[in-house]
Amino acid sequence: MRRSHRSAPSFFHCMLTLVMTWTIVAAPSLHAQKSGPTENEVKSAYLYNFGKFVEWPAKATSVGEFFPICVLGDDTFGSTLETTIARESISGKKVLVKRVPKPQDALSCRILFISSSQQSRLKEILAELDNTSVLTVSDMPEFTRRGGMIQFVVEANKVRFEVNLTSAERTGLTLSSQLLKVAIDVKRSTQPGG
Amino acid sequence: MLWIRGNSIAKRLTTMNVLVSGAALLISCAAFVAYDRVSFRQTMVHNLSIQAQIAGSNSVSALFFDDPQTAEGTLSALKAAPNIISAGIYTPEGRPFAVYRRDGAAENIELPPIPSGQIEAHWFKDGQLVVVRTIVFQEKPAGTVFIRSDLQEMSHRLKRYAVIAALVLFASLIAALLVASVFQRAVAEPIVHLATIAGIVSRDKDYSVRATSTGNRDEPDILIQAFNEMLEQIQQREGALQRAQHELEQRVRERTTQLAVTNKELDLRNREVERATQMKSKFLASMSHELRTPLNAIVGFSDLLAEGTPGQLNDKQKRFVNHIKQGSAHLLQLINDILDLSKIEAGQLEMRTEEFLVKEALPEVLSTIHPLAMAKNIRVEQKVESKSLVKADRVRFKQILYNLLSNAVKFTPRGGQIKIECVDDWDFVRVSVTDSGIGIRSEDQKVIFDEFRQVEGSAGGAQEGTGLGLAITKRLVEQQGGRISLESEFGKGSRFTFSLLAVEPTSEGHAVVEPAIASVITASGRLTPLVLVVDDEGPARELLASYLEPEYRVATAESGVEALKKAQQLRPDAITLDVLMPGSNGFETLAALRKNPETANIPVIILSIVDQKQVGFALGATDYLIKPVRKPALLETIRRHVPLPADDDSSILLVDDDPKALELLEETLRAAGYETQGVRSGKRALEVLANKAVGAILLDLLMPGMDGFEVIRHVRQEATLKELPILVMTGKNLTAEEAALLSHETQGLLQKNGSWQQQLIVEVRRVIEGRKLAKSAGQS
Repeated sequence: MRRSHRSAPSFFHCMLTLVMTWTIVAAPSLHAQKSGPTENEVKSAYLYNFGKFVEWPAKATSVGEFFPICVLGDDTFGSTLETTIARESISGKKVLVKRVPKPQDALSCRILFISSSQQSRLKEILAELDNTSVLTVSDMPEFTRRGGMIQFVVEANKVRFEVNLTSAERTGLTLSSQLLKVAIDVKRSTQPGG
Repeated sequence: MLWIRGNSIAKRLTTMNVLVSGAALLISCAAFVAYDRVSFRQTMVHNLSIQAQIAGSNSVSALFFDDPQTAEGTLSALKAAPNIISAGIYTPEGRPFAVYRRDGAAENIELPPIPSGQIEAHWFKDGQLVVVRTIVFQEKPAGTVFIRSDLQEMSHRLKRYAVIAALVLFASLIAALLVASVFQRAVAEPIVHLATIAGIVSRDKDYSVRATSTGNRDEPDILIQAFNEMLEQIQQREGALQRAQHELEQRVRERTTQLAVTNKELDLRNREVERATQMKSKFLASMSHELRTPLNAIVGFSDLLAEGTPGQLNDKQKRFVNHIKQGSAHLLQLINDILDLSKIEAGQLEMRTEEFLVKEALPEVLSTIHPLAMAKNIRVEQKVESKSLVKADRVRFKQILYNLLSNAVKFTPRGGQIKIECVDDWDFVRVSVTDSGIGIRSEDQKVIFDEFRQVEGSAGGAQEGTGLGLAITKRLVEQQGGRISLESEFGKGSRFTFSLLAVEPTSEGHAVVEPAIASVITASGRLTPLVLVVDDEGPARELLASYLEPEYRVATAESGVEALKKAQQLRPDAITLDVLMPGSNGFETLAALRKNPETANIPVIILSIVDQKQVGFALGATDYLIKPVRKPALLETIRRHVPLPADDDSSILLVDDDPKALELLEETLRAAGYETQGVRSGKRALEVLANKAVGAILLDLLMPGMDGFEVIRHVRQEATLKELPILVMTGKNLTAEEAALLSHETQGLLQKNGSWQQQLIVEVRRVIEGRKLAKSAGQS
């Protein structure tokens, strides 16, 4: 969203530009209450943003020319995910949204959103994904405590997230300090198989 | 740099030093500060840019995950930099995301735009630096960071620089002053020293002072050396000048002393000369007196002998007596001349200048000369062309003319001729006397006017003369502003020419009337008057008495006292009075006579060797004759003063207070056949006129008591006397008024000097004849 700047913008022009950007591209902001982005939109954007602050091991990065972001379980996003991030790319790779019915299908994904519907099978899913370099994200409670990597938390109408750094590092992922900085909680202790 | 000019060279040097170093320092400081400012700005921009970058990249995740608190936390780290006023992070859309403020106050900061194509921009504005930087994450703009910083650090830095610059400037000025003082010592001091010395020299005129050399062979030192050399030269010259002046003063002093001595000597000598002159004068006076006394006797008695009064002499005796007479006459002349000359030389000769015609004065001289010329059968011609009046003393003029003429007669042989010419020559009247005499040698012509110079070896044998005549003549001419000259050829004659100042004729009173035909009038008889002769010397009394006796009765007195007594007793008609007498002398006697009213009017004729006429006349003397007195002179004088009775109306009344003049007039007129009566005062004249008829009056003007003018007035008031001819004869210088009055009231005017006899006769004849003609015309 690069703002082009002209040599002598009139006040009116500035205002127009401001309003247009505000209305059209203000999706990630939660400051806009009414016309602001929905929780799903924010979560979609965050999924995509996580990709920017995480480094995958070399074996994972060499896979294909896409950056697959997958959803496991009930798709609460609907089409939101596609509309928000479909045409983006991360590290030169095109983002690809995939829906996977079972954890085995998710092995080639970079980021896997695990729907709350999978809460009961979480242990098996995480176990399935052990030893793979897939960043696991979910909005189910206790996700990070149970071994998930990033868990969305809504606090004061604002989407925040917690990080279980140990889980992430175990799979060879490197989380940027920048990412950790904005996380509301970073867990370092693990409960394997929990 | 006008203000530098008036100051001393030292000050100028110092000022220049300070100025130069100050200027250099200021320029370098300014350059340094400018450079520092620029580089500091760059550094500042650089630093701020880095800070912006750090803040930006630290805020990337916060931007992505919409976490302004984290971003603000990041920004609050900028607190460490106190120069940062505010900072802000904006979303890529330009929405403010996180803000930091140094003072904590809320402020909405509008994001300044970044020029396209750049990720960073900065502005210096209002003493602040603003840096705006795009936050780039993975080659994409993730937002914008904005930092605003104040420039306090820079201004502090500049202030510090200013203080340092001032300190450096101050220090360098002091250094410059120190350097200047060193310079001053090296350059200015010698010059100032030189100036001081020059000032001392010109003020005190002290050329002995010297400027001190600096020792280094630089220009000021050369200047000082040259100055010293110059002073040396001046000092030398000054010294020489002073020595010369000193010598000069010394010399002047010596000369002055010499002069004073000389002056003193001269003064002494002058006094001696004066005394000698006085003594000479005294000597001459007493000499002439002593000479005259015996001469008096010689002349007098030889006269008596020659006249045969004491008895007839034989021819031989007569001849001898004549020799004596001639010799004594010569001697008398000599004495008179010497006295004249000494008077002239002593400056005692008084000149009474008047204006008269030569024509008038000439006859009087000629009447004296004619007999001499006739005796030698010399023809005297006169040719008077002059019409101007001569301005001279009349008596002296005649004396000059007489001397020349008598000289001419003397040196002209028998049968020769003498010519008198008189012409006007501009402002002068030139009179020349030419003779056909022996002439004068050219070598003698130069000395002819000197005293006692007589031409030797004259053809005519021994010549009479004192040798003083021409000397006196020359002096008389020159004393009246004239010239005398001589032309002569030896053997052919001489021509003496003198010129005297002339004036144009003005008064008609000087008109000369041609002579008329004479008529003869018979003389009437008269009484024999009494003359009292007063002299202490018997021979003198005897001599005088013998002179007078045929015509007068004579009484004698031996002393003043006797004279007074006899005068009172006898009431003589005249008295002859000697001056030098024992007891009461002549002057005292005269005074006594005049004091006594009974004797006051008796004419007193002083006969004396002493020439003190002024005293005599002042005391009231009627006349004054100097001994030796010759008989004719005495008789003439007595006659003049002794009134003679007359009753013919053709007689002439002579009025003159001067007995000599009176006698001369009487003698002259009687010789011409007129009867005369002389009176000596105007009053007396009026008395006579009241009692008897006269043919004419011959009147003097200046008389004591009633003067001539008054007499004329009285006469003209009398009806019977209105037509009476009056001839005025005077020695007075007439004013124009007086001349006018006289020409109106009288019939003729004669000047009273010298030989005027001829003219008198002419005048008298004219008026008497005129009256007679008038009378006869009236009768017929």
